Amino acid sequence: MTTENPNFNKPIFANRFLRALSRIRRNRPNNNSNPSSLRRRSKKIKMAAYASMASAAAGSNKAWTRALIRRLRNRRRPRSGLHHRVVVRETEPVGRVDELRRLVPGGRGMDFDTLLDETAHYVQCLSSQVALMQSIADSIIMD
Amino acid sequence: MDPPQLMNASPPSPSPYNLVEVWPSFRDSSGILGVQEGDFARRGGSCPAEAGSNRDGSIEESTVTEQSKSHRWLKRRDPYEDESKVVSTSSANDMTDCDMKRLKVEKGESGNLKKEVAASTGLGKKLAEQSLQPVEPPKQDYIHVRARRGQATDSHSLAERARREKISERMKILQDLVPGCNKVIGKALVLDEIINYIQSLQRQVELLSMKLEAVTSSVNTNVEGFPAKDFNGQAIDTVDTMEFSLHPAREYIQEPSQEWLHMQVGGGFENTT
Repeated sequence: MTTENPNFNKPIFANRFLRALSRIRRNRPNNNSNPSSLRRRSKKIKMAAYASMASAAAGSNKAWTRALIRRLRNRRRPRSGLHHRVVVRETEPVGRVDELRRLVPGGRGMDFDTLLDETAHYVQCLSSQVALMQSIADSIIMD
Repeated sequence: MDPPQLMNASPPSPSPYNLVEVWPSFRDSSGILGVQEGDFARRGGSCPAEAGSNRDGSIEESTVTEQSKSHRWLKRRDPYEDESKVVSTSSANDMTDCDMKRLKVEKGESGNLKKEVAASTGLGKKLAEQSLQPVEPPKQDYIHVRARRGQATDSHSLAERARREKISERMKILQDLVPGCNKVIGKALVLDEIINYIQSLQRQVELLSMKLEAVTSSVNTNVEGFPAKDFNGQAIDTVDTMEFSLHPAREYIQEPSQEWLHMQVGGGFENTT
């Protein structure tokens, strides 16, 4: 599915992500069936995946990795369930480029050419991430 | 992006304008440069002539930077339309060299203006020279483009053309990355494809994390109590291959000392490499 991505360090991603998985799993409460806790845990896993991706791509010195790490860090502090960013984003103008800026972490402050550069890198890393997560999930299911 | 490095890396373009020729004409020609010249006259009168060249450079730089910034801001609102319009018209290959140079200089400029002003008189002169270039020669194709677009002064459209070339280059790279994007014609559709692809990937991440959550919740045997050394030492090499042929049992390792949530990137690198 993905071509080899030299900027995406797979061992780092796998290491961090698996550790996060085991940690999330260890910390889960006894009543797993509660839907809100299920959602919270899958969100945690998602955030862990993104954080692992950011650190796996940090060697390439791209702006989106720093923006992503910053976003994840800031999001973690208020433990309420409010989504602050969503409220802010509603007011922004909607266009294709704005949409792209919204999708790529840290894309709002960039020049358009920088945005394209970062987008290319981000897309590569995202697809590598998806492939790795898929293979992890498959390997667990096979077990 | 390191501005000084960019400055050094920018190729010495074979500019037909000698600095010695250009410089006096720049000083004498009042009114050609409009606002910039006015700035120069006002500030230049208050400072000694020795420091004049340096100060001139700084003034030139600041005005150029301001203009390019505001210009970029204007462009950014719909960088899309004028790209698709004008890329076909940018055919002057002889212009690209100094285009790139100017763009780089301006970019480096906005990064650390003060440092460069303090550091180099040569840069200032170079900038002054470059900002004179569009004034003196009557470049026909260039004015033609400008007239057609109905916007952008000379130096700006030079820089803009270089920028557009860079953008279309990166668009091509992106088109290669996004599957099914090569068949699409038109930048709007290409951007749509890219956006869709990113969204689908992010959705896949979401779905996969839900799947992983379900899987890890259901599997609660045989994963506890493996030595951490096993994963750290041995399995990394296995992970390194694309197939990701980790033994599933190795994936859940008790790592009580790992404070993962702090996300120290540097620490992560040192741990694993």
